[in-house]
Amino acid sequence: MANGKINITINGIEATVQKGSYLLQALRDNGVAVPTLCHHKDLTPSGTCRLCVGEVEQRGKKKLVTSCNFPVRGEIAVDTESERVETHRRVLAEMYLGRWPNVPLIQEVAAICGATDKEKYRSELTDENPKACILCTHCVRACDEFIQERILDFAGRGIKRHLTMPFGEVDPHCIGCTSCAYVCPTGAIEVVDDMNHPVDPQMIRDFGMRINAEMAMLDKDQCRMREVGTANIVDVMDAYDLLPVHNYKFGSHENTKNIDSKILKARYYTQDHPDGCWKGCSMACAKAVDGFELRTGPYKGDRVVVDGPEYETAAAGANMGCFDADFIIEWNFYCDTYGIDTISFGTCMAFVMEAFEAGVITTEHTGGKELKFGATGAVMECMHEIAVGEGFGVEVGQGIRYLKEKWIRELGADADFLQDIGMEVKGLEYSEYVCKESLAQQAGYTMAVKGPQHDEAWLIFMDMVNNQIPTFEDKARALYYYPLWRTWFGLHGLCKLIWNDIVPLSNKNYEPQVAAKVPDHVEDFFRFYEGMTGEPLDEEGMLAQSARVHNLQRVMTRMLGYGLRKDDMPPYRAVGPVTAEEYESRAERYNKQLEELAGFDTKGKSTEEKMKAIREYRMDQYNRVVDAAYDKRGWTRNGVPKIERLKELGIDLPRLVEIIKDDQE
Amino acid sequence: MILVNNRDKVEWREGMTVQDVLDAMGYDYALITVTIEGTFVPEHDYETCTVPDGSKVGLFHLAHGG
Repeated sequence: MANGKINITINGIEATVQKGSYLLQALRDNGVAVPTLCHHKDLTPSGTCRLCVGEVEQRGKKKLVTSCNFPVRGEIAVDTESERVETHRRVLAEMYLGRWPNVPLIQEVAAICGATDKEKYRSELTDENPKACILCTHCVRACDEFIQERILDFAGRGIKRHLTMPFGEVDPHCIGCTSCAYVCPTGAIEVVDDMNHPVDPQMIRDFGMRINAEMAMLDKDQCRMREVGTANIVDVMDAYDLLPVHNYKFGSHENTKNIDSKILKARYYTQDHPDGCWKGCSMACAKAVDGFELRTGPYKGDRVVVDGPEYETAAAGANMGCFDADFIIEWNFYCDTYGIDTISFGTCMAFVMEAFEAGVITTEHTGGKELKFGATGAVMECMHEIAVGEGFGVEVGQGIRYLKEKWIRELGADADFLQDIGMEVKGLEYSEYVCKESLAQQAGYTMAVKGPQHDEAWLIFMDMVNNQIPTFEDKARALYYYPLWRTWFGLHGLCKLIWNDIVPLSNKNYEPQVAAKVPDHVEDFFRFYEGMTGEPLDEEGMLAQSARVHNLQRVMTRMLGYGLRKDDMPPYRAVGPVTAEEYESRAERYNKQLEELAGFDTKGKSTEEKMKAIREYRMDQYNRVVDAAYDKRGWTRNGVPKIERLKELGIDLPRLVEIIKDDQE
Repeated sequence: MILVNNRDKVEWREGMTVQDVLDAMGYDYALITVTIEGTFVPEHDYETCTVPDGSKVGLFHLAHGG
């Protein structure tokens, strides 16, 4: 049947259900009430209580099945009202009632099943506690599926079966997430403290449990954060021509398969457990490699644990042309050990490699190291030099801006070329996304107060792939909302990943512009804020909180001698093709843009002529989007907050006004 | 001809499904929302839902990472 649907018969009536769905859901979707004790909408069905049985007839044979975990794969007839089903349920319910006569849920389900005699199965096992544990397994499954801790389980068999932690003691690995108490249907598990003293713990638990359920049910089909962490993005970026390769010249490479999430998962990652960076967070995105034998440096020969690699680290490997997972993991380890940022180092080294291949520097300047793209051994050598403060590493460790100035000053290098290929703004190296095809991302990078770090505005997909923000005004609105939303996470010490690296099914109900914000998760964060502080929050309030800090930061950068339009200007490599090799590698794309958007006839034109034309077009577009974004933010054409904007935000303190008063238009 | 995201043109053919359009665009991203003339198409219908010639199709990638 079309659309994966299948016809079944429920109590003699034809019904259409989704093939592969569980029978219990199919029954409930068709208005059939089914009693259960152990079923929970967000947990894997377990068939523990056996009250949900139905009598299924398939190929002439009848059998009782637990409907909660019976997948509908063929055309069946199910009877939930047969004598056999009713007797089974009633007897079972009488036994539950005999054991836990005062638990309200048991009483309710027993009444539905026609069981009223509390005495029939009364025995020495009878527990009069109205909050008794009824062995439904909700808590055991929540601990496993939501939190991946597997601390709670049953011990004993038959009548001795009981809930416990290992060896009957409080397990130190319990992170206090309270998931077990949340799903307990009887109140047998109670939360006895709330150490952070939130105003409304229940509001926070509601938020947390919703995320836990989404992680358990949806992540495996969405971003696979539990399975491979942020490394999943390596595969995506390569597929969409956005993975930085050879100092951002290109966006994909045939050897990405050597460093993508599939290879990291298959050969390297050994830990798929929550790392506890946020108690109770079930995303468990941090991955690690155990027993990795180092091949270089002071710990050569040692077997170590490596925390990572995550996306940016693997992508920085691609940026250096080093498509070698062993290298990336070793380099990851030493970056962590030496306290070096993998993004800054990777982007800086990619710049050094391009400069080396272009002849700006030679082995004479690098201490004999052949620093071509892909030179894994030379990269490691350079890294160890940084750590001990010797050789060429001392210079690399000071970053792209330092190297550009030094090489222009001392070697007479081509300043324009180095400015074009040196991927830094405000002295900070770019993070690992190719942004040539997304104007909004270009400005998101350059206008980020701290420098081109992606966490203020990640708009590539909205802009480049989805074409959701086509006009300058659309892009300016996105460059207003998203940086402030991301600033809000930083202000409150919250992780961004559970905002949009897991997306609720309900997100499909929103039109794309709204869906991009993942509105239900935004609401969850507002409820979390309210649960902690007692103060309600909405979008307007969130934007106001962030805008105060964001503008304060911008004024401070002005105080430090930056914070003007010239400080928001990108290296051209971030906007378009710097070299003929780069232009020719995506010639179809660039020619099409020139013809269709820039009104430039490419026929008979040399690559150099076309490069010049597309540069003029793209830089003009860049400047127009910056104008629109400054305007939306309440900043001058020169990128300085207007005094009236500070007044609006209530931060027009005399000391701040003094800093920017001479920069007003 | 089908217009994807108000910009990209895809050659239409008889019986073309949503999955065919995704394949033609090379889109295999996990968080895609599909609309035809603004109407949402659920994921389990991608293989069977046909796209009429001249349709405006939205293939919206939800951002993650970053």
